[in-house]
Amino acid sequence: MRIEEHPVIDFTRRRGKKVTIYFEGKPIEAYEGEPIAEALHAAGIRVMNYAPKTGRARGLFCAIGKCSSCLMKVNGIPNVRTCITLVEDGMKVERQRGLEPLPRDYRPPKWKEAKRVEADIIIIGGGPAGLMAGAKAAEHGAKVALMDENPILGGQLVKQTHKFFGKREQFAGVRGIKIAEILEKDAREKGVDIYLETSAIGIFQDGDRKLVAAVRKNKELIEFVGKAVIVATGAMEKMIPFENNDLPGVYGAGAIQTLMNTYGIKPGKRVLIVGAGNVGVILAYQLIQAGVDVIAVVEAMPKVGAYFVHAAKIRRLGVPIYTRHTILRAEGKEKVERAVIAEIDDRWQPIPGTEKTYDVDIIALAVGLRPSIELLHQAGAQIVYVRELSGYVVRHDDRLETTVRGIFVAGDSSGIEEATTAMLEGKLAGLAAALFVGAADLRAIDEMKKVRQDIEEFRSGPFGERIRIGEEKVMIR
Amino acid sequence: MMKNKVDVAIIGGGIIGLYTAYELHKRGVDNIAIYEKNYLGSGSTFRCGTGIRQQFGDEANIRMMKRAVEKWTGLGEEINFPKFKMAQTGYLFLLYDEDEMSRFKKNVELQNSLGVPSRIISPEEAQEIVPTLDTSEVIGASWNPTDGKANPFLAVHGLARYLRENGVEINEYTEVRDVIVKGGAVDGIKTSRGEVKAEIVLNAANAWAKIINEKLGVNFPIEPYKHQGIVSEPFKKGEIKPMVISFRHGGAYLTQKANGGIIGGIALKYGPTWDLTPTYDFLREVAKNFTRIIPALKYITIIRQWAGYYAETPDHNAVIGKVKEIDGYYISAGFSGHGFMLAPAAAEGMADLITKGSTSLPLDFYDPYRFERGELREQAVQMG
Repeated sequence: MRIEEHPVIDFTRRRGKKVTIYFEGKPIEAYEGEPIAEALHAAGIRVMNYAPKTGRARGLFCAIGKCSSCLMKVNGIPNVRTCITLVEDGMKVERQRGLEPLPRDYRPPKWKEAKRVEADIIIIGGGPAGLMAGAKAAEHGAKVALMDENPILGGQLVKQTHKFFGKREQFAGVRGIKIAEILEKDAREKGVDIYLETSAIGIFQDGDRKLVAAVRKNKELIEFVGKAVIVATGAMEKMIPFENNDLPGVYGAGAIQTLMNTYGIKPGKRVLIVGAGNVGVILAYQLIQAGVDVIAVVEAMPKVGAYFVHAAKIRRLGVPIYTRHTILRAEGKEKVERAVIAEIDDRWQPIPGTEKTYDVDIIALAVGLRPSIELLHQAGAQIVYVRELSGYVVRHDDRLETTVRGIFVAGDSSGIEEATTAMLEGKLAGLAAALFVGAADLRAIDEMKKVRQDIEEFRSGPFGERIRIGEEKVMIR
Repeated sequence: MMKNKVDVAIIGGGIIGLYTAYELHKRGVDNIAIYEKNYLGSGSTFRCGTGIRQQFGDEANIRMMKRAVEKWTGLGEEINFPKFKMAQTGYLFLLYDEDEMSRFKKNVELQNSLGVPSRIISPEEAQEIVPTLDTSEVIGASWNPTDGKANPFLAVHGLARYLRENGVEINEYTEVRDVIVKGGAVDGIKTSRGEVKAEIVLNAANAWAKIINEKLGVNFPIEPYKHQGIVSEPFKKGEIKPMVISFRHGGAYLTQKANGGIIGGIALKYGPTWDLTPTYDFLREVAKNFTRIIPALKYITIIRQWAGYYAETPDHNAVIGKVKEIDGYYISAGFSGHGFMLAPAAAEGMADLITKGSTSLPLDFYDPYRFERGELREQAVQMG
């Protein structure tokens, strides 16, 4: 099911050339530029593999290459992350059944010396934080190389069809998808050297410099060498425990946004959303825009977490928000067919007799994100668990430098917030790194002060309280 | 409360300390305590390559390893922990030239004379054992089906559980800072949690052994070298059953673990050093060499890399024996990368030595004083 009409995005113009891929021998229509899992989803195929230990059906969950729930065999090669691997004409795709044997291939790879990219600053992640950091550092004279494992820049902004709040200089009134375009254009104009479909696999010390080893398109090794590294790897969706939470059709909110807002594919017909924070409520609105029925939003907390305007909007459109409710289980054979919810008491226990069953084909989990800190951890940065920042995060100083000299952090990978703070942190890390590598002059210090004020201002007020407490716990003074 | 008086105090909660405690307990020594400065297995055991082989090139190591394999295969049952099993999936040394071939032929003869069923096989037979091997340049292989591997986490966990249930005191996060000597004999130890009286002290601290030795004015040449390992994402089990070794390819060793991922490494080492930061060179050389041995591994992703110490001696053989200068002080350390596989035999020998003063195992080979006498052994094959 593809979206042909959308109030904000014109997908018919965005789609690439038509190609054919083969799913278990059957031809499937796809478009150049879209990942395998998304193309299969458009054709109604949701089961991507059967889990090794339980044999249970698995499908997409995060859609941004982080959760490994979409592994399939592609051209005979097992364990391919199909959510970020682009289709190619004639590609053969098969469901993976448990652990697959090694392909019988007796040709050792030809070993070329790796491509070496030299820069002052290496940035990992091309979302709002990474792009902003890159543009800022380049503006101050640093040579910057940036990589992202996805095929497009902008991180999660590319799925945000809603308009941002706040100050004009922070893109108030502009839709997220548009902000992504602006940031990309700015970074490219300022000369940031950009590598897409490039996964960083490790950060190593290389004499007095840092070496970021990366793999492009799953085959080409690239060594990025620089004096500083900015890690802006974002976040990944959280999962909550309930019966059958692994059924294909239980998707992270971000995955649903990727399907419909990035690739113009209808995620399903009828959706139950779990979580009434900003993400859950905005998702409800976006689903309605895409022509999908939203049955209800359930929220375990006694109050809706989202901004009032967002919640009011979906209520006006007739979507009920049930606070103090939780999901008990998903039901269905190899795919979501029903969802059962119930009211919970003060001890968070379901109240018997309050169960409601809905016929839905999608359960959207908007239950929060956790920072993606794997590379920072690998690099040896000090990690702490901070509930207020939604998980394990790195310690850093007020220039966003971690406990490993020359490694900076910005955006959700430093603690879950919003795209606006991700951009501000990106600016700050970009400035700090440009100073660190000796490219920027002292004007950068004044600019950093201004950015810090903007961050403080954004975090002031009751919505920012949690973040302020969290920041206090990770800050090295 | 930690005991303030024990019969035997063991420094180091790795496989050597634990297994030696187990052997001592079997011989009726009942007041034993183990002191580990971090958590059990954290030093070298949990970082090891998991291989267990009898294919050595000298009589002592072959005899020790033959005994070790007998013990490894029975351990799970003995300690009532059937989950622990040595997997006798063999060791396959790939041979690429006549030099290697003649060396391994000689080793196989010696191994056979001591009852180890190793043999030289053809490239075709090697490929039957591991179907994904690239044998285009292989001229043969040295194969022993009774070698294998075991899970060090389960070995440590199983032994520790058994020891605790049987009254052996295990003190984690307890650092031994000194050994107290009175009148030329051991009197006890000083730990980070207080002093303990002990009649016998065993230094089983492997890479850290020399720190304690130096305080006592004894010196055996044991130095920490950084070695590294990797594991990969899992694929179908049984694809790479044995430990596969190739000197031609950077001294690579690799095998498939019980969960389907590979574990392995290459001979690249750094040191002596206390640094354990993983290096990019290692990762790249692993990728390069592993894919030359088994080309299909180019499709498989490495998911973890780590470093650990080989506590090396000049001849790559351990230091096991009684320390003459101090009555009641023993050492079982410096295993040079073979501590896990040798543990049962080293423990048996050491327990004999402590309780009876002698052993039928060839512990003389590991005599701590061979270095000062200039009687270095032929360097032990240091792979896997």
